[in-house]
Amino acid sequence: MKLFRAALLALLCASSVLPHAPGAAAGPLYEAPAPGSYELPAITRVQPHALVDSNGATASFPALEQGQVAVVAFVYRGCHEAQGCPASLALLRQLDRKLDSDPARGARVRLACVSFDPANDTPERMRELREMMAPKTDWAFLAPGDPVALAALLGDYGQDATPLENGSYRHVLKVFLVDHELRVRNVYSAGLLDPELVIADIDTITAASP
Amino acid sequence: MQARLGLALFTLFGFFARIAAADETCLSPFMPKITGQEDYVYVYTLGVEGMGDGNDKLVTLGANSKRPGYGKVLHQVSMPGRHEAHHGDFSDDRRYLWLGGLDTSQIFVFDVASDPGKPKLVKTITDFVAKSGGVVGPHSFTALPGRMLIASLSNAKDGGGKTALVEFNNSGEFIRTVWMPDGAEYGYDARINVNLNRMLTSSFTGKQNYMRPLPELMGDAEAMKKFGNTMVVWDAHARKALQTLQVPGAPLEIRWALQPRHHYAFTSAALTARLWGVFRKDDGSFEAVDLAPIGDPASPPLPVDISLSADDRFLFVDTFVDGKVRVFDVSDPRKPVVVHEQKIGEQLNMVSQSWDGKRVYFSSSLLSNWDKSGAANEQFVKAYAWDGKQLSKLFAIDFTAEKLGRPHLMRFGQEGFWVSKNAAPPTVGE
Repeated sequence: MKLFRAALLALLCASSVLPHAPGAAAGPLYEAPAPGSYELPAITRVQPHALVDSNGATASFPALEQGQVAVVAFVYRGCHEAQGCPASLALLRQLDRKLDSDPARGARVRLACVSFDPANDTPERMRELREMMAPKTDWAFLAPGDPVALAALLGDYGQDATPLENGSYRHVLKVFLVDHELRVRNVYSAGLLDPELVIADIDTITAASP
Repeated sequence: MQARLGLALFTLFGFFARIAAADETCLSPFMPKITGQEDYVYVYTLGVEGMGDGNDKLVTLGANSKRPGYGKVLHQVSMPGRHEAHHGDFSDDRRYLWLGGLDTSQIFVFDVASDPGKPKLVKTITDFVAKSGGVVGPHSFTALPGRMLIASLSNAKDGGGKTALVEFNNSGEFIRTVWMPDGAEYGYDARINVNLNRMLTSSFTGKQNYMRPLPELMGDAEAMKKFGNTMVVWDAHARKALQTLQVPGAPLEIRWALQPRHHYAFTSAALTARLWGVFRKDDGSFEAVDLAPIGDPASPPLPVDISLSADDRFLFVDTFVDGKVRVFDVSDPRKPVVVHEQKIGEQLNMVSQSWDGKRVYFSSSLLSNWDKSGAANEQFVKAYAWDGKQLSKLFAIDFTAEKLGRPHLMRFGQEGFWVSKNAAPPTVGE
């Protein structure tokens, strides 16, 4: 857990220093495309799933209103690879702060991190994670119900997560952008965890939404 | 605070350095890499009528000297028919290997995670042309998160070179088609640099040409004009063409430099036998620079595949006609120098190197109607060790003697890469 905290802390600190272009001292090497100047066709469609929030309550996820989108990251607290779950959480935290400073946009977005480690990530531990991240917006910290429900959830999103003998998981980092019709409109992975790109996508979708 | 910032910068720099070093050494930046010893080489093989069952195949070779079956054919799976087997690549999670047929435009998806030594065909996409709106010849496969980007070669309307980028999701469902821009209609490769949010595409020729016997084609002056002479710079995120670069003579494979501060890429122009660099300028736009000849310009050897080492030092360039590999030292990317030249066989096409650059694999076949005939029609996969100065033979497999066919694309597999066989649900179904 110390490794997780250290990796997360490092990314949270760094993300406020070098938001775009790691290894480059002069700032971003590109600009996010203008919202609405490009298309985000549906990649796939997902189903609602019953998940347990950090208070122990079970609810259907994602529950989005017309015009809302969800940014969903699949994580587990035992992950200590800097390019793994801490990077996803760092992205969500950056988005959380940006959305907090722009309430109109923030009202259109729900953030969620969903654990794929049912054996360890209890609602209590997800509540600890919530306290660590100190969200300022509508950011859910969710635990899977049971292994069967988890398998259905991961299969639905196309998120791999292979448990290894040492208790860790082999997984490819993925963060999903889902619209209110439960269509996945983009998927972000290592190298694409740029909050400006996600914001541009959010505005592209919600501006076109009736 | 200073120490914390130092840790933060180190962590983040290391994080993205690993992302940018995207290859064994040309894979999508979004997928996990085999950084150690590969156990298997998967060889996408064109079927030959009257040879074995005559079908296209995915052949698995043993590549680890410490395991049984080293340098041997371990497994093979046939796809019914011959489809002009050519290129393909892994899905974003590396669990599936997508392989395209340039003739029939079918796409074959193999599960390589459940049992890496025995890939299993789990899906065949037969409606690529219809779904894509008339795109033909799925060629270069690049995994994007949740989907596959397929740079294609031709179209169903006239079989010419006008073509498109096509996206399918990981379940094999069509997402969209993005046609190449006016003035740069040809397609071939598509490679992404995530640090720059830029994609480069290159250009070859249409089905009317690539399915035609090579001697006949080369004797048709009008047909020889129908090759691409352009590369396109794209906003990778938006899939918007930003800039067209003039690169005469069919620029083929694209290799971005792998180190995070190296903002350039290489390609080879097949018909003019020139090595080109594409460099990012201070204003963020790109320039194409003619860097060096490949072989003797008076008798162009037809450069085909290229492979860049993970440290951006060595660029391997295969040439089909003379069957040679030339290794350029590209430490100074604007002044490449040939440091090694070696004949591998009577004909030579693909090259794949391991992440550590110590092992290099070569295959022989270009296209079914372009391969040489008679005794020169050698069909092989050869493995070499590379020590930075010379190539030393490890093993060779004669694909004709083994009754397999014409070996083309090579990709690596590793036992235990996915430890649990029953954990993650499949993203591609039957």
